[in-house]
Amino acid sequence: MCLHGCGIRVQVVDGVALKIEGDPTNPDNLGKLCPKGNAGLSRLYDSTRVLHPLKRTNPKKGPGVDPQWKEITWEEAYSTVARELGRIRAEDPRKLLCSLGDFQRILLWGWPAAFGSPNFFTSLGNYCGGSYHPVNGSIDGSFAAVNDYEYCNYWIQIGSGDGFSAHLHLSGSAKRMADARMRGMKVISLDPRCSIASAKADEWIPIVPGTDRAFVLGMAHVLVHELKRFDREFLRDRTNAPYLVTEDGNLYKDAGGKAQVWDTRAKAPRSWDAVPAADMSLEGTFTHHGRNLRTGFQVWKDMLSSHTPEQMSEVTTIPAETIRRIAREFVDAAQIGATIEIEGKTYPFRPAALNYYRGSQSHSNGLFDNLTYKLFNMLVGNIDVPGGHLGVPLDHRGFFVSPGEDGMLKPEPHQLHPAPPFKYPPDSTHLMEWFPIGFDAGQLNTETLLNPRKYGLNYEPEAMLIYHANPLWNMPETDKVEKIMAKMKFVVTIDIQHTDSTEWADIFLPAHTYLESYLLNCLEPPAVTGHALRQPVVEPVGDTRDAFDILTELSERLGFLDDWNDLLNMVCGFVAKPKYLLDPEKRYTPEEFWDIYARSVYGEDKNLEWFKEHGHAVRYRTAEETYMPYGSLRIPFYLDFFKRTGDEMRKKFDEVGLKDWPVDNYQALPFWKNSQVIEDGKDGYEYYAITFKESLHTFADTMVMPWLSEVSDKDPVHGGVLINPVTAKKLGLRSGDRLRLTSPAGSIEGNAQVVEGIHPQVVGVSNTLTRYVSTNYRSKDRGTHFNRLLTGAMKYTDSATGGLESTARVKIERIVV
Amino acid sequence: MANANIAALGSTRKMLGFSRRTVEFEQATVADLLRDLKTMDGQTLYDHLVCDGKLRGDFAILVDGLSLGADQLDKPLQGGEEVVTMAILRHLHGG
Repeated sequence: MCLHGCGIRVQVVDGVALKIEGDPTNPDNLGKLCPKGNAGLSRLYDSTRVLHPLKRTNPKKGPGVDPQWKEITWEEAYSTVARELGRIRAEDPRKLLCSLGDFQRILLWGWPAAFGSPNFFTSLGNYCGGSYHPVNGSIDGSFAAVNDYEYCNYWIQIGSGDGFSAHLHLSGSAKRMADARMRGMKVISLDPRCSIASAKADEWIPIVPGTDRAFVLGMAHVLVHELKRFDREFLRDRTNAPYLVTEDGNLYKDAGGKAQVWDTRAKAPRSWDAVPAADMSLEGTFTHHGRNLRTGFQVWKDMLSSHTPEQMSEVTTIPAETIRRIAREFVDAAQIGATIEIEGKTYPFRPAALNYYRGSQSHSNGLFDNLTYKLFNMLVGNIDVPGGHLGVPLDHRGFFVSPGEDGMLKPEPHQLHPAPPFKYPPDSTHLMEWFPIGFDAGQLNTETLLNPRKYGLNYEPEAMLIYHANPLWNMPETDKVEKIMAKMKFVVTIDIQHTDSTEWADIFLPAHTYLESYLLNCLEPPAVTGHALRQPVVEPVGDTRDAFDILTELSERLGFLDDWNDLLNMVCGFVAKPKYLLDPEKRYTPEEFWDIYARSVYGEDKNLEWFKEHGHAVRYRTAEETYMPYGSLRIPFYLDFFKRTGDEMRKKFDEVGLKDWPVDNYQALPFWKNSQVIEDGKDGYEYYAITFKESLHTFADTMVMPWLSEVSDKDPVHGGVLINPVTAKKLGLRSGDRLRLTSPAGSIEGNAQVVEGIHPQVVGVSNTLTRYVSTNYRSKDRGTHFNRLLTGAMKYTDSATGGLESTARVKIERIVV
Repeated sequence: MANANIAALGSTRKMLGFSRRTVEFEQATVADLLRDLKTMDGQTLYDHLVCDGKLRGDFAILVDGLSLGADQLDKPLQGGEEVVTMAILRHLHGG
């Protein structure tokens, strides 16, 4: 149902599913379930679920406009879609916009590419992973990251719910977090709001949104300049921190192109592989042939000199002494120099780590944020070692490990698809060709589709395919999204229930739930690896179909079944095991497909029948798979790869006349600079607005599920605009008062909820109850729609990664009713 | 004579006009094999996939499951290899 795919068992009596329980044999979730997992039945049997294909009969479209649905046959639905999309595909396949969700079926996200469209019309994933995943991939070939639950003793949690309410595989992680706390692990939580993690932490430190990086830079200053305590051996022996950097920021290389280090014996630069690590200088400024050189570490050390706790305190509002104290506690707990033996092998032991996610890095300088947190962890040498900050692979294939330049691990910023080559005019409406190290900046559609010529687009989309996604809710600047939707001549949606976006559809194709369909699931498990099978536990409800089958049927009717099968061959890795390659001309059922998939991964013995009987092949990752899986390859401390990419992009933009297109965030090292959100404060937007989710509603469109909806209704945190008593008093507000929040992008209304647990400069808006329009009665008029406060404009987008800004500056007004 | 099993995916399948074929050779590198594979337009797969002696960045070739680097087209074939040719698609999105 959501990204994580916990192992479950379903009690079925007389063909009716009665209860869902965690599978105790699955080490991923350890028999535990979150509220979503428990509530799955309320989706399966929801009375508002769409059970037959629907055709719109009201030609008028708009927010709140009743589509006047009419039930039709699958044949009529398919033939209508094939006719409309066939016309588009014949003219120019790029005219199809695709909005894709359902993280578990991530392979279906390839369907638009088989159709011929590069377009990605959603911000799904970019609110949290836009900058996060590229930096993880560039540092250690991982996709995500989390601290080591088993060995960590001191856990700094910044803008994240790991182990408490969200992010990686919550059910198992909550158990692992609880076990770690029982053995004495200390948790420090930084968050503008007293989140679940903050409430349960040993210490909650309220912080101004988007300034987490400043707090960490201040701590880095303390370690490097004040305490002078950092893991010199790790930085020197395991990273490129000792590699020499020239005045222009590039690595200093010899005529053969090899990176140079400063040889302390020869007192001269030499190739990195010609000098024993012990003789490399980690710090220092040198001159050679008239060039001023510094080590990569020295460059950051010099940058950090201006990031004193006092200066960072002004940015974050956190007292300088707190920054110093946490830094001291952290480095004390890190036990620099310690080792531990696991499974017969000795590893460095660094039981202190900083963990982070959406709240601390989904900002317009997200690349800087992510780099700061990685480098801070590197200062104590805790990356991918027991107790430290561990990379988490995308799936069972593990870390992306291949040798790069100069003894380094090759950076892999794009793990979901190869980096697109620069192109002008661009093919994609979200300009993916302009972000070679970023993910897909779907929010840019709000700019490009309303001004296509400005961005060089030489076509305009006319149709939309929405698969289990809700761009009208998900995208920023809803007014613009409505204008874009209104321009579409044809919209088809594949979903289970009505959403804000399905209301705009011409054809609704109703899909199976996860309790009625097949899938081998394996995504970002933090401690384990392997697949779990989801399989039908009951007969499908209504005249619904498997989404895999729906898209395969459309491929066949549109005449590209061969390309669809070939795309699946690539996505599923069958190309690496040719005996499992799908026949391009054959139509595969979901069962046939997943049987091939199972055998391709696990061999002939573990086919679909095996999984039907055993449920899963999930096991704990070994120490060798978990700790430093890249062996002796160095990981980057100085990200010259980013800097070089930025230089190349500047040239390309200049060559096509895009001289104002920003590339300023392509930097090798992070530092503090104000974001546009902070600058907006100068225009009278005094307060910050943030949004948050809880475990009830992460990674899934669960808002309409009755059980979860009921729980949310009873939690006052979700019902209003959270505001601190000091701020409320200043503004003359009491709980229940109606107020308006206005950002540079838009305004929303809500009811004040006065609570102590939020920073005085901040208002918090739950994103749980914010569906603003839908034919589903449970999700109608249920509060404020936070994303209206955000904007997809480039100045609120990370110029290197395409990551979007998830915080807004707002003015607050009381509305007198 | 030795042979190799060719699987052509996506646009390379359309160029060649077939998806699977076993080809015979005496002594050959991957580059030789590409030169021997005639495309529907009268050229060879080498002409389409190789530029300045290197595999183009928008194509991939796997030999026995391992992807070849752009400058590894001189890899000798021993016989019995599974060779996959394909265009690289930006096939997934999001985060």
